[in-house]
Amino acid sequence: MARVGMIFCWAMLTLVLIFLFAPIVIVVAVSFSPSTIFSFPPDGFSWRWYSAILSNEPLLTSVWLSAQVAFLATCASLTLGTLCAIAVVRGLVPAGKAIATFMASPLMLPGLVLGIAFLQAARGAGLRDAYTTLLIAHVVITMPFVMRTVLASLAHFDFAMVDAARTLGYSYPRALWKVLVPNILPGFVSGALFAFIASFDNYPVSIFLVDVRTKTLPIQLLNQLEMSPDPTVAAASALLILGTVVALIICDRLVGLRRMASI
Amino acid sequence: MKSGPGRAEPADTQSKAERHLEVAGVTKRFGSTVVLQDLSIAVGSSEFVSLLGPSGCGKTTLLRLIAGLLVPELGTISVGGRDLTRVAAHRRNIGVVFQNYALFPHLTVAENVAFGLKAQRVAKPEIEQRVREALALVRMESFGDRSVLALSGGQQQRIAVARAIVVKPSLLLLDEPFSALDRKLRETMQIELRHLLRELGITSIFVTHDQDEALVMSDRIAVMNEGRIEHLASPSEVYSRPRTLYVMEFVGQSTRIAGRVAASDRGTIAVDTPYGQISAAGSFAPNTNVVVGVRPEAILSGENADAGFNTIRAKLFDVVYFGPKTNLLFEAKAPADHLLMEIARLPQALTAGRDVALRWRIEDTMVFPAP
Amino acid sequence: MTTIATKSMATHAKERRTRFDSKALLALPGLLFMTVAFAVPVILLIIESFAGPQGPTLDGYRKVLADNYYVGIIWNSIKLALITTIATLLIGYPAAFALARARGVLQVVLFALIFLPLTVSIIVKTFGISIMMGRGGIINWLLINLGFIERPMRLVFTEFNLYFGMINVFLPFMILPLYSSMRMLDTRLADAAASLGAGPLYAFTRVTLPLTMPGVIAGVSLVFSITVASYVTPSLLIGDRFMTMSQVMAKAYLNIRDFQLGASMAVVMLVIASIIVVAASYLARAPKEGR
Repeated sequence: MARVGMIFCWAMLTLVLIFLFAPIVIVVAVSFSPSTIFSFPPDGFSWRWYSAILSNEPLLTSVWLSAQVAFLATCASLTLGTLCAIAVVRGLVPAGKAIATFMASPLMLPGLVLGIAFLQAARGAGLRDAYTTLLIAHVVITMPFVMRTVLASLAHFDFAMVDAARTLGYSYPRALWKVLVPNILPGFVSGALFAFIASFDNYPVSIFLVDVRTKTLPIQLLNQLEMSPDPTVAAASALLILGTVVALIICDRLVGLRRMASI
Repeated sequence: MKSGPGRAEPADTQSKAERHLEVAGVTKRFGSTVVLQDLSIAVGSSEFVSLLGPSGCGKTTLLRLIAGLLVPELGTISVGGRDLTRVAAHRRNIGVVFQNYALFPHLTVAENVAFGLKAQRVAKPEIEQRVREALALVRMESFGDRSVLALSGGQQQRIAVARAIVVKPSLLLLDEPFSALDRKLRETMQIELRHLLRELGITSIFVTHDQDEALVMSDRIAVMNEGRIEHLASPSEVYSRPRTLYVMEFVGQSTRIAGRVAASDRGTIAVDTPYGQISAAGSFAPNTNVVVGVRPEAILSGENADAGFNTIRAKLFDVVYFGPKTNLLFEAKAPADHLLMEIARLPQALTAGRDVALRWRIEDTMVFPAP
Repeated sequence: MTTIATKSMATHAKERRTRFDSKALLALPGLLFMTVAFAVPVILLIIESFAGPQGPTLDGYRKVLADNYYVGIIWNSIKLALITTIATLLIGYPAAFALARARGVLQVVLFALIFLPLTVSIIVKTFGISIMMGRGGIINWLLINLGFIERPMRLVFTEFNLYFGMINVFLPFMILPLYSSMRMLDTRLADAAASLGAGPLYAFTRVTLPLTMPGVIAGVSLVFSITVASYVTPSLLIGDRFMTMSQVMAKAYLNIRDFQLGASMAVVMLVIASIIVVAASYLARAPKEGR
């Protein structure tokens, strides 16, 4: 009977995998469909929707915007978060644990609530520039990912190495760069990756902060779906999936997916 | 040369070389705790000085202050005549060997050793040559391309030393570098390191809580307690003529007997104890409470008519065999007393329960004020 | 050897804690930023929920908690979260179990496959699901070919569509914590139970299940707190036919501009999510305090 139990579990796992990948596979399949109808199985093969992307200006602009925001936000939270994590791990600040929890807490709040809070605060502060507000909000969103992975990496790091680098001739900041960063690279890279993806794909916060001229990719995709649905959206989605897979592979080459997953 | 709290050294009686490292009046606080109190020490060029003491006595703090990893609240630190107190750690050119070696796992052995040279922007060919020489000095020439993670404890330790000395530091600091090694390896490494440092003539400061290690390796030992140096002198001096009771108890084993001064006459005192009267050199006023100390190997058994000996009687209660020596423990009549005798071979006549006469030379007697 | 420990380890530890290093300032920029950019807006939001034209008022909460319409919506969100959580738990538990039993390369690959959908944008996935639900979509195709129905039925904007989508999106969030705690399970324990005469079902309920409870609690609290607040999936797959708290909030701010309503609803959502998190950490701690 235990045998049957295990077979059942493996069957469930297989079904789950099929289930999870079905929408993804379908989106990719639809992106190659020659017609404007979203039907599966697709009746033909065509690149037309991919080339349609190239002439779809709002879409391209939104991709560029999302990439910019994600990149800048990730860099900012990597810097601020790592410095803070160092101070916490070294016991340099009182209530270090509480601070670490605080820095990671945006993840515990519903994204929607955050978005509303940002909107209110920005309006109250007289901040009308959507780009800046978006950037600030995305640093907040990405911070928990950085904090969690960097803190975990730092826990295994021997700070005597930084002292050693200092006695060998490097100032404190340069010592951190030469010795700390290379050794917490898995935490760094996985934190940066999750942060980038979280920012790039974010909807609940961004929806409140975009305006007519400043739209991030998810918002733009949804707008297009509502207004003029055609498989261009599927093509863009397929490219997004491809991009994510490539990023994961690069990280695996650089750092090792196994190491990343254990952190 | 003795140094201690409140004793200012007359500067003109010592040459520059004798004061290669000079720590003067250093006080260090962590929050409200004072870890080092008005501490001064001077170390001569090429000298090997150990900072010996238990955990928490401040020895590692002192080391980190000298290295520049900490800044003192009061006092100055100078090396080679140059005041380094406010100079950042990376500009002091002081080498440090850390307790767990702190080797860089993302670099090879050779890259580890070259690290400090790169920081000084030394030319590549010179780096390669100096790294080779340093590795040869620690007998690790063929390990250049290896990963540091594949090295054993002893090997890592040697690379840590190579890395610290390749930059030709003016001073070398070692923070309990052998504590992670097993006993046999430790003994070998102690001798090796001692030879290496003597050959290179590098002034070294060595932190340890192991008094055997300090006795073996040092030119002088600074015995530390609660942020102060209790005694700074050569190993034999620290062992045979400790300045305070603490030093006598911390370094080596000792017999300790509490007593009261009965009489004092021209530099000699007579001390009354429950085991008999003891004579010693010293000048304490009568009725002062004192503690008398003797090294266990200086004690002999049996009476002797010679005038130059102190004799007491005590009951043997335990015999502890160590191989090359045997310790005899006698019943103490007061809780703080400790009666210990060390001999090479146990005479058959001595068995537990026997009342024994113990004697030792009067000049081997040490006397300290009772705590 | 006589070693007299004068300053004990406790003092040593105290030295480390009371050290004030200028390097503590490292934490400052990050902390300051998060306080201004995160804590302050959230606090302002909570204050806003009490704000009325003539000073602090509970009108917003009265509307949200007393009006049947809004109570029904809160219940919708909770119902959505409950069903999604239970479904993902029932489906995910055996799947996670198999995943935890896999070895070597297979496990790494399977793990990556479970993990990958998380990295795909929720909009892409939801879009894919809505395609699957179309009249010409695969679900209808399957149902017809398996003989359940004769003609394609309308599946879009139905509750079936909604739950299908929710489970699809949130299944990995349940599986990963379950997998984490199952990985630490010693397989020999089940064997030991068997050798003591326990049947597989008994061994499961008495050994495996209790030991995987931490994972269950973590997964349940994670999925519940996220789904009770989910916005993208419900609004895309079912829209106004199934109003959730999140949709009310979005409408309040983007369409009707009733900020107090939106803020009050947001605080209610915050409270529900916090209760779950606190309850979960309490439950996770209780077994260790000795039952």
